[in-house]
Amino acid sequence: MNDILIYGAVTSSVYAMLAVGFTLMFGVARTLNLAHGSFYALGAYGTYLMTTSFKLSLTVAAVLAVLIVTALGVAMERMLIRPLRGVGLAVPMMTLALALVVEQVLFLGFGSEYRNVPSFIAASVIVGGVDVSGQRLLTVAVNGCVLACLWVFVHRTRQGSAILALSQDREAAQYVGIPVDRVYALVMGISAALAATAGVLTAPFLTVQPGMGLMPMIKALSIVIVGGLGSVRGSIAAALLLGYAETIVAYELSTAWTELVSLVAVFMTLVLRPAGLFGIRAR
Amino acid sequence: MSKAYANLAGATGFMAVMIVLPLVVRGRYFVGVLTLGLIYGIWAASWDFMSGLTGRENFGHALFIGAGAYTAGFLNTIWMANPWWSLPAAACVAVVFSLAVGIPTLRLSGPYFSLATLAAAAIMQRLTLIFWERTGGEDGLQGIAPLLKSPLELYYLCLFSLVAVVAILLAISASPWGMILRAIGGDELACRASGHNTTLYKVAAFAIGAAPAGLGGALYAHHQLQVGPQLLSVFVSVSVITMAYVGGIGSMYGAAIGAILLTVLTELLRGAGEWRLLVYSTVLVLMLFFRPHGLVAPLWQALRGGSE
Repeated sequence: MNDILIYGAVTSSVYAMLAVGFTLMFGVARTLNLAHGSFYALGAYGTYLMTTSFKLSLTVAAVLAVLIVTALGVAMERMLIRPLRGVGLAVPMMTLALALVVEQVLFLGFGSEYRNVPSFIAASVIVGGVDVSGQRLLTVAVNGCVLACLWVFVHRTRQGSAILALSQDREAAQYVGIPVDRVYALVMGISAALAATAGVLTAPFLTVQPGMGLMPMIKALSIVIVGGLGSVRGSIAAALLLGYAETIVAYELSTAWTELVSLVAVFMTLVLRPAGLFGIRAR
Repeated sequence: MSKAYANLAGATGFMAVMIVLPLVVRGRYFVGVLTLGLIYGIWAASWDFMSGLTGRENFGHALFIGAGAYTAGFLNTIWMANPWWSLPAAACVAVVFSLAVGIPTLRLSGPYFSLATLAAAAIMQRLTLIFWERTGGEDGLQGIAPLLKSPLELYYLCLFSLVAVVAILLAISASPWGMILRAIGGDELACRASGHNTTLYKVAAFAIGAAPAGLGGALYAHHQLQVGPQLLSVFVSVSVITMAYVGGIGSMYGAAIGAILLTVLTELLRGAGEWRLLVYSTVLVLMLFFRPHGLVAPLWQALRGGSE
């Protein structure tokens, strides 16, 4: 019972990090970023490259990796997404193509074999009678803190108000002088940073290989649909829901069936309540 | 009228070239590559029918391709059915999949359809790996029987299938039916306001596009004599989309020719085998940026003089 609680929290917190970034991008900038999983993969590979080839200490490597991925995200928004915004579905197409470019570059650079990234905390801890690796606990703690900071940032700062305003009414926000493009770039940066952080933290205990970004992104998409497109609250709630549902299925049935959980959840959401748990725009 | 003649002449010329090509340039290998190009042509044209006309981008065409190929594989290796049963069965299975994905998502506006197609194909690929006892996992299903005795016969079967598929899709798109699909692409709300059940049209178009994709999957299975989970990957979907973009969205014949050209051209780059997928995704990025209307169809329209 306790192991379900703890492992479920780890899974949920990672899903939440990915889903919140994705939904922010959609809710604020109306941008469907299908390269979101690439940020996750790049975070992990960045840490790997900097600890092995450049011999940096793990913490420095991790921070640098997140910063570099954030910069990449902002650059991508500026140069590749912004010019295509408003041209039908060119943006999702472009981001999907970019995701494959990233995957192929990682494949050509590192090969398809699994890479090992060292843990931040090697020791394992016994919590409530369950033996958990320190890295997993650290993941939950850091993800929780980052999401809390994000909440404070969005609800308590001027920049955050600009983000909220843009998500409510783009034109009105423009009229009161909010620099739309700059806020979009900011949101893209935040979204990339969240995904990269999740990648850096989970790299030690999940597989690091070129295609690693796809499945977490598919899960994030599912969570965002279940929670309601564009709703941060909904994404967190749905991340907990799906994270725990998958863990329960993994423990009670078999790990083989976990992939079906999100599929069933998405299907039910689309049939019963397309707006999602917390979505406002119904159709 | 002259445009119709020009189109007829173009189609005849294309047919002539495709019929003669494998006889002039001999060699099993080259015929195999051309056959693959024709199969990709079927996939690209069928993607273009739904997504090009209605503007609803399907990011998971690989779902139908894989469903068709695995249907052929299962029928042939487990139930030992006659290979010819694969073709209709694969098309039917693909249609069933398209209805399962299309009915819940196409009634909604917003990105649900695109996300669901992407997710459905990716999850199916995971499932083939997880249930490896039945699907053969990473190795897939081996030892599928060939459909016809010689590769050349299979080539002509694929050529016939491609021409038939493109002709049927073009006929539908030129009919009042296709007009409504284009109208949905232009302004769905206005189309609904004038009394058309747009959801029905979209779901039907999706199913019509899925059937040839499944058929192509079965042809692929009997061409390669094996199927693997990489047929369900995002790369297949994106390769198909790239081909349709190079051909010119909404033209169908452009998508088919784009597919043949891209397949043959990337085979020439075989030395750089690993780079193939990178080339495809980069071509798509560049096309989106610099030539969003494609190359093949605009070129043909310029040659013929004037657009539709």
